[in-house]
Amino acid sequence: MGSVRAGVHGWGAYIPIYRLPMAEIARIWGWHPEQYRGLAVDEKAIAGPDEDSVTMGYEAARNAIARAQVRPREIEAVFFGTESKPYAVKPSATIVAEALGITPTTMASDLEFACRAASEGMRALTGMVSSGLIKYGLVIGSDTAQANPGDVLEFTAASGAAAFVIGPEKGAAAIIEDSATFVTDTPDFWRRSGEPYPLHGEGFTGEPAYFYHIESAVKALFERTGLRPSDFKYAIFHQPNGKFPVKVGQDLGFTLDQLKEGLVTPMIGNTYNASALMGFAKVLDKAKPGDRILLAPFGSGAGSDAYSILVTDAVEAKRLLAPTVEQYLARKVKVDYGFYAKSREIIYVIK
Amino acid sequence: MSMELSIPRFWRFKHSIYRLQAARCRSCGRVHYPPKNACPYCGSRDLEPVELPKRGKLVSHTTVYAVPDGSRQYSPIYVGLIDLGLTKVVTELTDIADPSQLRKGIEMEAVLRKARVDRDAGLIYYVLKFRPAMGVPDVQA
Amino acid sequence: MQVFVEGVGMTKVERHYEKGLSHLAAEAAFKALDEAGRPGGVDYIVVANALATLQDEQLDLGGYLAASLGLRGVRALTIEAGEASGLAAAQVAASLIESGMADKVLLVGVEKVTEFPSGKAYRHLQMVYDSESRSYYNVGFAADAAMLTRLYMETYGVDRELLSYWPALMHNNAKENPYAMLNFAIKPDRVSKALAIAEPLTLLDTFPLGDGAAAVVLSSEDSSSKPMARITAIESATGLGSIELSDDPLIIDSVAEAYKRLSSLTGVDRFDFIELHDSFTITAMLVLESIGVAPKGKAAEMVAQGSFSPTGSGPVANPSGGLKARGHPIGATGVYQLAEASLQVAGKFPGVQVRGAKRGLVISMNGLGSNSFVALVEGV
Repeated sequence: MGSVRAGVHGWGAYIPIYRLPMAEIARIWGWHPEQYRGLAVDEKAIAGPDEDSVTMGYEAARNAIARAQVRPREIEAVFFGTESKPYAVKPSATIVAEALGITPTTMASDLEFACRAASEGMRALTGMVSSGLIKYGLVIGSDTAQANPGDVLEFTAASGAAAFVIGPEKGAAAIIEDSATFVTDTPDFWRRSGEPYPLHGEGFTGEPAYFYHIESAVKALFERTGLRPSDFKYAIFHQPNGKFPVKVGQDLGFTLDQLKEGLVTPMIGNTYNASALMGFAKVLDKAKPGDRILLAPFGSGAGSDAYSILVTDAVEAKRLLAPTVEQYLARKVKVDYGFYAKSREIIYVIK
Repeated sequence: MSMELSIPRFWRFKHSIYRLQAARCRSCGRVHYPPKNACPYCGSRDLEPVELPKRGKLVSHTTVYAVPDGSRQYSPIYVGLIDLGLTKVVTELTDIADPSQLRKGIEMEAVLRKARVDRDAGLIYYVLKFRPAMGVPDVQA
Repeated sequence: MQVFVEGVGMTKVERHYEKGLSHLAAEAAFKALDEAGRPGGVDYIVVANALATLQDEQLDLGGYLAASLGLRGVRALTIEAGEASGLAAAQVAASLIESGMADKVLLVGVEKVTEFPSGKAYRHLQMVYDSESRSYYNVGFAADAAMLTRLYMETYGVDRELLSYWPALMHNNAKENPYAMLNFAIKPDRVSKALAIAEPLTLLDTFPLGDGAAAVVLSSEDSSSKPMARITAIESATGLGSIELSDDPLIIDSVAEAYKRLSSLTGVDRFDFIELHDSFTITAMLVLESIGVAPKGKAAEMVAQGSFSPTGSGPVANPSGGLKARGHPIGATGVYQLAEASLQVAGKFPGVQVRGAKRGLVISMNGLGSNSFVALVEGV
């Protein structure tokens, strides 16, 4: 990384109000509790009938822009990372940008790389800010994650969004000190064009995909920077369930204390592009100036990023300018499988 | 290829509906939404755009069961009359898990949601709906 | 105004699946023409209709009805003002006569609302409200009335049960009216227990979906032979028609204004009966209060006490059963009201006949008062 750095000026999240308990899914599809207990997830957040990635991303972005304390017109790039776009062709980024008053003099596009698309957008924005191409950029990770009904993935595929305003180092609440990306062609999980649900390799999604890429990206970062696990206050990983992020963290040398604050999946399931990033938002909601954060999102297909992020004095004043992740976590109402099926349109309906 | 929802009709209205952009009359000072060509109160043509606050108080509401075509998935549909200070608006309400929480005077905030979807292949109309406030900040353009 | 009613005709308001627009129009028009003594020289046909394009893919309904009624070549106009199309058309018809442009006008109101399932009809009916404020949402046709009802109840301390006397009164009147769609009595306590459509409104707080046609033959003084009634005046006004734009949504500005214009024009402020626009219970209450027949907040109470019943201190409200029970074939309704009022002052109404009725007020409006019309009908 060059001498000019970029940082996070604003962060925001969004979690829908509805929660579907694991027991409800198990009841319908005949799963034994032992078959899903190992996922370490209690219930998952699901978007309501009038929500989609665009509406969730809008709210997370509104929170982020409020914290960044910039005028929407000052944002000159909007990257929308998702694998559940309402339009396969027609950018979600422009809808959110228009609704928030960012258009028209802005870059905008939707990115895809399973769960790490938004993270790639974040890395791209740091480069664009550092080079002076733009002053501020907005990245949004938002998903209404899909799963084939009756597949084990259904337990964890959840809905949520996270957003960040990236800008110059000066005034940032957290500085992105350095970052690395590690990708290979590894088909652990995919969704074919036109298909409503993904397929995955079950066990193959573990070692060859999740663990290999995260560990490689983090090790690459450690090599570049000379940093070690003990240099970090928090370590946040992509969280497909409640177990994987703890295992990969401990394998890399982090303690449970460093890992627990960045965990959201046990409470709301895997929000895909908003998985690690929502953990990051949650940590920023309470991190202190001087704290160093390791952030390692992962996306199937496959690849991982690793960031070293340093929290600054500016973080405290920005915290209460928007609802915190805890506030969204606390805002919940239990629903049943029928509501979920109607809401996520997995029931065939003649429109 | 039959379209039920018009493209340009929504497109030219998007500033109004995405941002609650109203009109203020420079003659009498009153604000109205959506913007008309002349002040509906005093008749003056001297209008200027003004963005409404995204927070206000619930004045009246209803729960609709006789929902129109294409909106069954949202039923029952909650509708509210909200006082935003500068003027009042009527929109659908959302995130109403418990309808007994809807009472005159409660704080409401605007969020972006789907309102109408043209079947499987057509356009999606995104609008601002109000929900019981949780403190989402207003970001004015 | 010297405009005279020579003949009227109506069809029963019903789901007339077997009758289309022209068939219904003919049924009513032929009756009216026959009663008027089959006059030659109908100069104009003025058609009131709101939904023909949406329900029946028909434009220029007036033009096509002319030939269909055997009046090829006649001058034709089609008038639309939403729910107030009927009286709007009457206003045009009357002014053609008053201006000397016509000696005889056949006024026909006709509507089909049952060509599609009710969900589509609700989408169509939502169009009586401002499109830019409502059409991007799914509020339906009853949400505004429901919110108004809640405001009325909270502002005046009126409870749900007190508002139920109006539907019961309407049904009581309609059960005598052979043209009414819902000609059966109901008790007030049944109203709040009926199917909720938009809380606190139930199905019994609003009109049924039904098709119908009504026709009136209007003549100038010189051309009329045995008139049954006289239309003394028709006035109208536009208004905000919006609960959110009104400073006081519990007064319908356009109804108050139209009535004020009519009263100053005619000097009349007492009536034997009123056929008024009760699309919902609340609209009836607000119309009564907007014209000052009931003090603000007191209409529901007065209805419950029987003030507006056929035996009350009067004026008698909706002896026909009103939109609630006679029915509301949207664009045709105003012509039904005019036909009924004419029959009342002629002493010939086949339902509840207001004894010695000499003067009736007819009120029709669209939505919450985007456009309101008021007519004075008197005996001859």
